[in-house]
Amino acid sequence: MKIISILSIILLFFSVNIYSQNYDNQKFEKMNNDIDSLKELIKPGKSKFLLRGYSHSGIVITDENSSFVGGSFNPIFIYKQSDRLMFESELEFELEDRNLNIGLEYANISYLLTKSLTVRFGKILLPFGIFVDRMHPAWVDKFSSKPLGVGHGGILPGSDIGIELRGASYLGSSKINYSFYVMNGPRLNEGDEEPDEAGQLHYDNFPDNNKNKAIGGRLGFLPLSNSSLEIGFSGMYGKVGSGNSQYADVASKLYAIDISYIQNLPFMQSVLDVKAQYSGVITDNANYRNYDNLVNPDAVYTFTNQNSTTFAQIALRPAMVNNKILRNFEIAGRYSDLITPEGSKWASNLNQWEFSLNYWLNWRTVFKLSYRTTEGETEHTEGAESPLGKAFFFHWAIGF
Amino acid sequence: MKNKRKSLIFSSFGVLILVMLISLLSNCNVSNEIKAKSGAQLWGENCLRCHNNPSPETFSDVEWDVAVMHMRIRANLTDEEAKKIAKFLKTAN
Repeated sequence: MKIISILSIILLFFSVNIYSQNYDNQKFEKMNNDIDSLKELIKPGKSKFLLRGYSHSGIVITDENSSFVGGSFNPIFIYKQSDRLMFESELEFELEDRNLNIGLEYANISYLLTKSLTVRFGKILLPFGIFVDRMHPAWVDKFSSKPLGVGHGGILPGSDIGIELRGASYLGSSKINYSFYVMNGPRLNEGDEEPDEAGQLHYDNFPDNNKNKAIGGRLGFLPLSNSSLEIGFSGMYGKVGSGNSQYADVASKLYAIDISYIQNLPFMQSVLDVKAQYSGVITDNANYRNYDNLVNPDAVYTFTNQNSTTFAQIALRPAMVNNKILRNFEIAGRYSDLITPEGSKWASNLNQWEFSLNYWLNWRTVFKLSYRTTEGETEHTEGAESPLGKAFFFHWAIGF
Repeated sequence: MKNKRKSLIFSSFGVLILVMLISLLSNCNVSNEIKAKSGAQLWGENCLRCHNNPSPETFSDVEWDVAVMHMRIRANLTDEEAKKIAKFLKTAN
């Protein structure tokens, strides 16, 4: 009787165990099916969207005043319609002179023609040198302000509307990248509306002020197999005067040489980053009306319209040291200059130094403490803020 | 003036043909050293040319697809480089 009872208990134990195992298997099978169904539900299609961008703000202290500045927000919309077709656009919301400025930095469609050639249509950042195309986002730029020659009051093109072919290829262990474009091109300020800027080029030329289209491009050569060194040559040519004016045949030639070098320095446990660019802008000479001559309203003046700008910067970050705090610091220094035509009403000969101590919270968030000093001569417009003098900045920038 | 315009048109076509030729011939001439590069190595070499290397855990796989295509065009990456870098970045997810 005792044996029968023990056998019954053992039998019951195994039965329960087998039942429970079957139940678990069924449960797991059901869970797997549920997961597969969910995967099917959330399986991404070919069209994908990504919102990225950056923002920055800070405080600037000059000889005359101090103010919180910046307050810029730049969302970037990227829509990948298929493996070959993509749309991207960057907006800029910026506080300036008590107003909110909204700008369209770029908006274009890209189509991958071959493995090494892409065509882009629309408003694009011009690959003229390296600053605008690669270094303009505040979280990429290692300094609180832009170098002389770039942006407001500068001579370099930013973005333009047209069509571009671009890509990259290997030649053995070396690499080249190339861009060739046809754009509306720059527009000559003929002095009718802004006499103090007669002879300057403006790059917001839409619709185009003439039938001519500017052509240009950039060729980059990376001779080392680790792509650490790049030397680039850029050029652009086009007529810039209005088609129906006396300036119809005035043309401009723009050129730039740039160099970029990134190198790990094991003996300093640091990363060295060197970048430099020299650019020239030459516009045909023309006669501009001299509005300052009140005696003779038909008086004109002219000047040799040659401009140049340079920047060279170096940055060092001890990214390979063990100390978690120290490796996030970075020191950077930059020299830039700007020479605009003597005899023009916007003549200037400026040079600038900027030094920055940066702290990286992560790979795309940075605090910058910068000191900038600008010297030289300038015919800056009365009432406008003088570019000369010293300035301290404390800026933060975040990429997202 | 007409000669100037003609020379411009010819030089434009010259550049265009050069670009086409380069793009057609390029993939026949890649060294073994370049072919052997891993996605991690390419990520380390290329991203740092403009900005800090992005952490692979920043985006999901789907988001990396878009971000890498964006950077392929912006940073002039080749097709092979973009594919290897995307594969590496997705390993964190």
